Amino acid sequence: MKAIMKFAFQLGAKISLKADFIVEKGGRYFLLNDALLKIARKNFYYAGTYLGKVKNGKFFPSFNLLKMLAKGEANKIIVEKKAAWLFICGRDIFRKGMLSARGSRRKGTHTLVLNEFGECLGFGKIVYSLDEAAKKTEVAVKNVSDVGDFLRRES
Amino acid sequence: MESFYSQFSYLRLMSGKDFFVDRYRRLGWEFDDVQLRQAIRINVTNSKGKNLEKRLQTIGIHLEKVPFLETGYWVRSSKVSVGATAEYLLGLYSIQEAAAQIPATLFTALKGKTLLDTCAAPGGKTVQLADLMDNTGAIIALDVKKRRLAALSNHLERCHVRNAIVYHLDVRQASRLNLKFDRILLDVPCSGNFAGDRNWFTRRTIADVKRNMRLQREILAEAVACLRDDGEIVYSTCSLELEENEVNMDWAIKHLNLQIEEVDCYGQKGLTEFFGRRLDASVERCRRIWPATTQGFFICKLKKLVSKQ
Repeated sequence: MKAIMKFAFQLGAKISLKADFIVEKGGRYFLLNDALLKIARKNFYYAGTYLGKVKNGKFFPSFNLLKMLAKGEANKIIVEKKAAWLFICGRDIFRKGMLSARGSRRKGTHTLVLNEFGECLGFGKIVYSLDEAAKKTEVAVKNVSDVGDFLRRES
Repeated sequence: MESFYSQFSYLRLMSGKDFFVDRYRRLGWEFDDVQLRQAIRINVTNSKGKNLEKRLQTIGIHLEKVPFLETGYWVRSSKVSVGATAEYLLGLYSIQEAAAQIPATLFTALKGKTLLDTCAAPGGKTVQLADLMDNTGAIIALDVKKRRLAALSNHLERCHVRNAIVYHLDVRQASRLNLKFDRILLDVPCSGNFAGDRNWFTRRTIADVKRNMRLQREILAEAVACLRDDGEIVYSTCSLELEENEVNMDWAIKHLNLQIEEVDCYGQKGLTEFFGRRLDASVERCRRIWPATTQGFFICKLKKLVSKQ
């Protein structure tokens, strides 16, 4: 639970999750609704909404959690079509691929990456202050995690 | 059942393409090589208001509505891999064979219900059920193979399913969950068919079919034990073999307090007379799909009769 809140804070996001509805299983966190809580047994493999996992002390958010955070106030950048595709392929975001930014623009902070339709593709770390008049060919946001991971998991 | 086989003892001895093709001919279907068409299913919950069809068109994926499905589309042509687009990765659609999209649509009133999805991995039908339920109620998804659970979980995460619980459990032990289900999807392990497997004819024998038939009956019996009175089962296989389909349904209604329900869906009526044998007339309500643009498939909707106290 702490790990999730800490992660949300890094993204400048606020999230209210009732601790009673969160179940931890082997370092993986799941958000269950009332109906599922009543019937879920301890030995489940997956349940409700997967929020992410803690591995070696580090939190890895799920894409469900990122989508939840993207719905509210958070650090976000919107990227154009080509940049969105490259990001899904694991690449970083160049300044020229950015359409707009909300929330923190400071170097070192984390930001959600959204496509032109406002759909969350993943998140990254700002490596060059978004306020500065950087070169358009400079990497602005380093890819940390993107939905292309679903394909990489399969291979 | 034994008498059925002893009566037609040649079934035990024969296998191979000639045997099966002849068998299909005697059931009224002429074997033909099939060209399966790739199909997708739009996840309505995730793609509301997104005009997905048009969006996919802009990236070079041209769709054609599958006439017998509400949310299913053939991929008419595609410049990109349909399984590697942003829209796919965001869970706006799933790749799902057209005939395989039918079973989940046959349940009545799914919202808010408790549903058992047996043999659930890799999760195509689980995601479809969650979509039809609008993420209400609960889906208990089981699979006996642990390594397949990762694929199932990835599928649920990608499509943002919120109402499923997954267990590593053999469906024949489903009673251990101490739950009574309103609906049960039995997409049972089966012998498959040649349409999706080039080597099917060299790999399969009637002995496999018989073995699967026995396993399917065990699964059916356990499912009925976990089903509420008046609850519904949708049974499906991608096998073309009578033993796994019509013969099993005939057995189910005679031994498991079930009745076969009418369905209004794609496919031919179930076979009730073949090889000198006659099944219960209600077996005709099943649907048999011979391979053509879809793979071969068999579907039956069953209802549990209210127990007499």
